[in-house]
Amino acid sequence: MIVVDLLLMLVVAYAVGFLYYGLYRNITARFQRRFGPPVWQSFIDSIKFFFKEESTSHGWMFYLGPVIMMSGAIMTLFFIPFFTVGDTFQGLSQYGNAFVILYLLVLGPLGNALGVGTGGSPFGAMGITRGLTRLFAMELPFYIAVIAIMSLSGSADIATIASEQTTFNAFAYPLLFIAAMISFIGMMGQSPFDVPGAPVEVYSGPASEFSGKFLALLMSQSAIFTFAKLVLMVHLFLGGASGFLELLLKTFILFIVVIAFGAIYGRFKTPQAVDFLLKVPTTIAVVGLILATWS
Amino acid sequence: MEHNGFIQEQKTLEGDLNSDTSHKNSVDFLMNWFRKRSIFVLAYGTGCGAIEMPPTFTSRYDAERLGIRGAATPRQADVIIVSGYCSYKTLRRIIRTYEQMSNPKYVLALGSCTVNGGMYWDSYNTIKKLEDYMPVDMYVNGCMPRPESILEGFIALQKEIGEGKASSWQKYEENYEFYRKNQEAVLGKKVEPSYDADWYLYDGGL
Amino acid sequence: MFKEIKKRFATDDVEVKRPDLYKVGIKYTRLFELVHMLRDEYEYKTLNAITCTDWIEEGHFALTYMLTTLDRKHTFMIQTMINREDAHAKTFSHEFKQAQIMERDLHEMYGIDFIGNENLKELSLENWIHTPPLRREFDTLEFVNNHLTFREGRDDNVDTKAETKRLRALKKAAKEAAKKAKEEAKAQKPKDEKIKEGGG
Repeated sequence: MIVVDLLLMLVVAYAVGFLYYGLYRNITARFQRRFGPPVWQSFIDSIKFFFKEESTSHGWMFYLGPVIMMSGAIMTLFFIPFFTVGDTFQGLSQYGNAFVILYLLVLGPLGNALGVGTGGSPFGAMGITRGLTRLFAMELPFYIAVIAIMSLSGSADIATIASEQTTFNAFAYPLLFIAAMISFIGMMGQSPFDVPGAPVEVYSGPASEFSGKFLALLMSQSAIFTFAKLVLMVHLFLGGASGFLELLLKTFILFIVVIAFGAIYGRFKTPQAVDFLLKVPTTIAVVGLILATWS
Repeated sequence: MEHNGFIQEQKTLEGDLNSDTSHKNSVDFLMNWFRKRSIFVLAYGTGCGAIEMPPTFTSRYDAERLGIRGAATPRQADVIIVSGYCSYKTLRRIIRTYEQMSNPKYVLALGSCTVNGGMYWDSYNTIKKLEDYMPVDMYVNGCMPRPESILEGFIALQKEIGEGKASSWQKYEENYEFYRKNQEAVLGKKVEPSYDADWYLYDGGL
Repeated sequence: MFKEIKKRFATDDVEVKRPDLYKVGIKYTRLFELVHMLRDEYEYKTLNAITCTDWIEEGHFALTYMLTTLDRKHTFMIQTMINREDAHAKTFSHEFKQAQIMERDLHEMYGIDFIGNENLKELSLENWIHTPPLRREFDTLEFVNNHLTFREGRDDNVDTKAETKRLRALKKAAKEAAKKAKEEAKAQKPKDEKIKEGGG
C-alpha cells in the first residue's frame, strides 16, 4: 500500500513540478513582455534530452552525481507529507521529522559536488564552489527560522507543526517568515542568489558538462525538488493543506512570489550574496526568534 | 485584443510547422516531434551575424515561443549556428565545438559568407564553402539575415527534423574521411586548436 | 627641435604634416638614439603604433614608429628603411611594453624578425606555412584559387585589375551621362524660368 502511495506522490510531484517550471518560464516571459513558451515546454525539453545520445565519458563517479541528486530530491519528497489529515499521500513522514528533512536538503548538492568534481570542466568546479559557498550562508537563516518554529510549536513533526497553527505561522511570526523566505528564494535558485549556475559567468556551472539523459535527470530532479521544497514551506508557515486544491493554491502563491523576485532582480556576485545572506536574513531571523520567545 | 496580430503570426508559423504527416511509425514520429519542439541553441557567435542573434532570442522576436532557447555549453546544445564568415582560426574552434556536441546535432549557417564566401571571396584566410568542412542542415542567406529570416530558417529546420530528414550528424560520421581531408587541406595536419585549462598563462597569452 | 634633429642625425627628411604631426625619416642605425632622445628629452612617452610598408620596387620595408605625447597632444612619426630580403630589426619591447604585440603582428604579416622579442608566435594565422600574406609578392587571388573551392555559379573570382578597370569605365560613363543630363537641365532651366515668369 505504501509503495503505491509513494509512487503516486512521485507522479504528482513530477507533474506539478514540470507544470510549475513551464509556468515559471511563461510568467517570466510575460514579465519581459514576451509571448513565452507553452506551459509544457520544460517537459518537452526533458523528454527530448532522454532521446539524446551520450558522447562523453568521465568515469562512474561523474555519472553518479545526478543520481545522488535525484535520490536526494526523492527522499526529501517522501519524508514530507502532502496533507495534514488523512492516510493518503503521507509517504514516510511517520518515520522521520523535520531534522531528517533538513539533512536531506543538502544531500543533493553534496552528491552533485562529488560528481562534478571528477568531471574536469573548470566551469563545473567553479559552479560547485560557488554553490557550496552560498549553501553555508543560505542555511543559517533558514535553520534558525525552522528551529524557532519547531520549538514554538513544541514538535518536530511536520504534520503536527502544520495542523497546530491557529493563525498561520507566517502572520504570527512575520520576521521568521521573511528570513526563511529570503533564503528560500536562494534555495529555489532564483535571482539575486542564482550564483552557481549563472549562464554568462560559469556557463551553467555544475550542469556544464552533463548532456543527454543525465541532463534530463537533473531537470526532473529539480522539478521534483522544487515541489518538495514548496510543500515544506507551506507546511511550516502557511498552515499546511487538507486537500489538493488547497495545496496547489498555497504552493502556487508561494511560487509566484519567488519567481517575481527572480524576474525583477539582477544577480549578486558570490561574495555579495554570502554577505547579504549572513547579515540581513540572519539578523532578521535572530530578532524574530528573540521576539517570538519573549512574548 | 491588442495581441491579436501576434497570435495570428504565431499560428501562421506553427501551422506551417505542423503540416507534415510523413513518418515511419509512431515512435519515430513522437521522437521527432519532441526533438523539433525543443531546440537548444549553442550561445556561440562567429562573424558579424552574431549580432542578429540576441534580438532573435529576446523580447522583440522571442524565439522561445517556438521552443528555441539558448544553451550555455556544447554538451547541452542541439544546434550550432555558424553566423557569418569563418576564418581558419575560427573554423578550428567551430569544428572542435561541433564535435563536442552530442547526437543528434544540427548546423544552421547564416549569411552569404558561409554559402559562397560572400564579400570575403578573395580573402586568403577565409573559407568559401562551409559544407566542405562540416555538414550543414540549413542555410539562411542574406548579408546579414534579419531575425525574421533566422526564425524562418529555424522553422524550416524544425520541419526537416519533424520529417526525420535532418541527419547531418550521420552524414558527418559516415563521410568523416572526406571532411577530415578538406579540413586538413586548409588547417594543416593538426586540426584541433592547441589549448588546455591554463592556455592563457603560458606563451604570453592568447 | 627640428634644427637639433637635423644637425644631430644628419637628415633633411623632416616635414610638418599637420600642426600636431611631425615626420622625420632617418637611417635605421640612428633609430634608437632618436627614439630615446624623443622619449627622454621631449616626453614622447607613448608608442602609438608600428606600421610597415612594402616598397617592393626599391627592395626595402619602411617601418614607421608613431610616438605621442599626451600632455601636448602631439605625435612624432619616425620612418626608417630596412632591407627587404632577410628583414630583421631590433625589438622595442623593453622600452615600450605595447611594442611586443605590435612586433608580433608585423612578424606574422610581413615576416620581419624582431631580435630580442620573446614571443613572436602567430596571432591569427595558425600553422601558416606560406608567404606572409601582406608581402606584395604574395598573390592573394592566385592563392585563393589554388587553395579554396568556390561554389558553382560564382564568377567574380576573376582578375581584379581587369575587373577594376571595367568598373571604373562604367563609373566614368555614368558620371559623363550625369554631367550631360545636368548640362541639358541647365540649358532647359532658363526656359522654365521664363515660363514661370510668364505664368506669374
